[in-house]
Amino acid sequence: MKGKANYRKRDYQAFFYIMPWLIGFAVLQLYPFVSSFIFSFADYNIGAKPVFIGLENYKKLFTQDKEFWNSLKVTILFALYTVPGKLIMALAVAMFLNRDIKGINLIRTLYYIPSLFGGSVAVALLWRLMFLDNGVMNAMLTALHLPNVQFIGDTRYALKTICALEIWQFGSSMVMFLAALKQVPKSLYEAAQIDGAGKVRMFFSITLPQISPIIFFNLLNQMIQALQNFTSASVITEGGPLKATYVLGLKLYKEGFSYFKMGYASAISWVVFTVIVAGTLIIFGSSKFWVHYGDE
Amino acid sequence: MKKRVLAAVMAAAMTAGLVTGCGGSSDSGTQAAATQAAGETEGAKNDETKAAAASSDEEITLRMSWWGGDERNEATLQVIEQFEALHPNVTIEAEYGGNDGYHDKLATQLASGTAPDIVQVDPEIFPTYVNTGDYFLDYKDYNVDLSNFEEAYISVPINGNYDGKQLGLPTGISGAGIMVNKELADAIGLDFSKTYSWEDLIDMGKKVREYDDSMYLLCANKEYIVNLIVFNYAKQLIGDTVFNPETKALNMTEDQLKEVFDYVKRLYDEEVVPPASYQAAYSGDNLQSDTNWIGGKYVAALTYISTIDVMVAANPEAEYIMSELPILDGAAEAGWASNTPQVFAITSTCEHPEMAAEFMDYFFNNDEALATLGATRSVPPTEKARQICTENGSLTQVTMEGANIAAAMGGTPNDKISSSEESKTILFDSVETIGYGASSVEDVTKDAMSLLSGLGQ
Repeated sequence: MKGKANYRKRDYQAFFYIMPWLIGFAVLQLYPFVSSFIFSFADYNIGAKPVFIGLENYKKLFTQDKEFWNSLKVTILFALYTVPGKLIMALAVAMFLNRDIKGINLIRTLYYIPSLFGGSVAVALLWRLMFLDNGVMNAMLTALHLPNVQFIGDTRYALKTICALEIWQFGSSMVMFLAALKQVPKSLYEAAQIDGAGKVRMFFSITLPQISPIIFFNLLNQMIQALQNFTSASVITEGGPLKATYVLGLKLYKEGFSYFKMGYASAISWVVFTVIVAGTLIIFGSSKFWVHYGDE
Repeated sequence: MKKRVLAAVMAAAMTAGLVTGCGGSSDSGTQAAATQAAGETEGAKNDETKAAAASSDEEITLRMSWWGGDERNEATLQVIEQFEALHPNVTIEAEYGGNDGYHDKLATQLASGTAPDIVQVDPEIFPTYVNTGDYFLDYKDYNVDLSNFEEAYISVPINGNYDGKQLGLPTGISGAGIMVNKELADAIGLDFSKTYSWEDLIDMGKKVREYDDSMYLLCANKEYIVNLIVFNYAKQLIGDTVFNPETKALNMTEDQLKEVFDYVKRLYDEEVVPPASYQAAYSGDNLQSDTNWIGGKYVAALTYISTIDVMVAANPEAEYIMSELPILDGAAEAGWASNTPQVFAITSTCEHPEMAAEFMDYFFNNDEALATLGATRSVPPTEKARQICTENGSLTQVTMEGANIAAAMGGTPNDKISSSEESKTILFDSVETIGYGASSVEDVTKDAMSLLSGLGQ
């Protein structure tokens, strides 16, 4: 009995220690989370009192707002381009950097630098300048005697231009892949080599299954990030041309902060949330077929 | 299995971040803002305590926000320093930056009661704030000398006067016009000195293309086309504002809107303006970074008086004159009037309104302040300031010319529904669709009509 009492006391202490986080969570996450859900059922303009209108916002979103379906499509396309692109890029570079050569740490740092800029506005502005009609990219195309491309003004290329920025920032996934690659026991490769397996076979039969938990984590993480994209679409193309890069994150922002329709914006955020939850569930559901944990 | 549970928890946490509007990094931003806000509340409490102690040298901190370029920022900071030197107990914290997102942030600050004490506001957005809450103080209740302003100028809503209350003070005289590269216009034989029609504008565009097919008549983008061409053409056509501000109904018919959009289509088809896909890279307030403007490949640019200097700085080699916007034959309404580029308001949450008013009085009336500010907020709003700026050379000839032309046009400013971000976005999208040729003018007109008529409801 005495032991149990002590245990309980320690439990309370633990709560006390994590209190700062709990308060922060309640105020900055839980409260906005719940209130945005409530506002999504209200006609709520900044400055005015919210008026409860039931499912009206959602009804308008799904049945009348043509922009919404376009934005949903653009957002999903953005995720479909960037998530695999980023993972393949990150894994390829991680494989390349997973070796012992002189100055490897410097090279690893260099590859990580783009990720340090994160979703910053400055790097998006720089990207914009590079891809302008008279920017560096077109100068390079001219030097190679190739026709110039309107990366920002042409509806066919605008989305791909902002996807390229996202893929370029592969560093954080790469670092995780690198750590995972280092964890793969060398003995497995040695055994495979003795059995006569080639490099490609070893990659698919040893490397990939061994690092699958990290692929899973990166996949989930990147998908969530991609579906929430805002900065690059806002800074580089402002959602244009012809709404070709008008991702849901940008629509949400416009409705909320430019048109002051907070209720409608909350409804959009809940739709994005639902899409992300659905994506997460699908990835989780599929994981038992392809993710291998060492402790199982 | 443990790892799987951990992964699930992490995924849930990341996903939840979305609805609360923040990922990891923005969390820290929100926290920082919260901490700052907490600090400010505490600061305010301290101020109250000090106010209770009541003395004329109580420490006063005011916050002031504006947007602008380097020149405006430096001049404003200097005026703040001058004022602080005269009032050692006053500190004015400046919050300034670019125009992007300024009003989005301000709207949130006003709604949450955390707005700075003195705020610069776009006069077309100001009515939205005035209509949604009691956010601003009436200058007439405080000791601000308004005698340097012309009564007729500051008593209209666009210049800050609502229901007899002077909620904002105009910072300058602005308006729209066309700035012309004189040498180039002369070389091609284009005369901008006389009144001309919208049809003439298209003819001039054709002449420019015949003269040199790497050149265009007008440097413009979808935003400028909407603000300066669509609204003006529409107002001249219907002889009234686009919306009726009282009934909130559209004043124009579908045929009239189609006529305006047909004209926009001709601007693109007859190459009076560069292709929409080219303009896309220089949208918003970015005309001055259009490399063809910098390279002198345009004969003229659509402009506001307040941006003339920026446009000149982008290509300082050329000599410029100002010209009025085209006018429709037999138009009853000129379409554009001079107004102010910004207003300054004191927010109702200000704890030291007397001191804020004293600073505004200094800002608008003191000789030294006026000389320092120069024309950094367009042509100054008072005769006194204009005289000071002309004498010290901060007011350029071309800017003054622009202000005179805008003032002479004497049309009606846009109603508040037309000025709203939402109505403008509908029109920006329409012009863009026409420019790209993505839909027929009929379809664009139908869509725009249905969206615009939904705004007034």
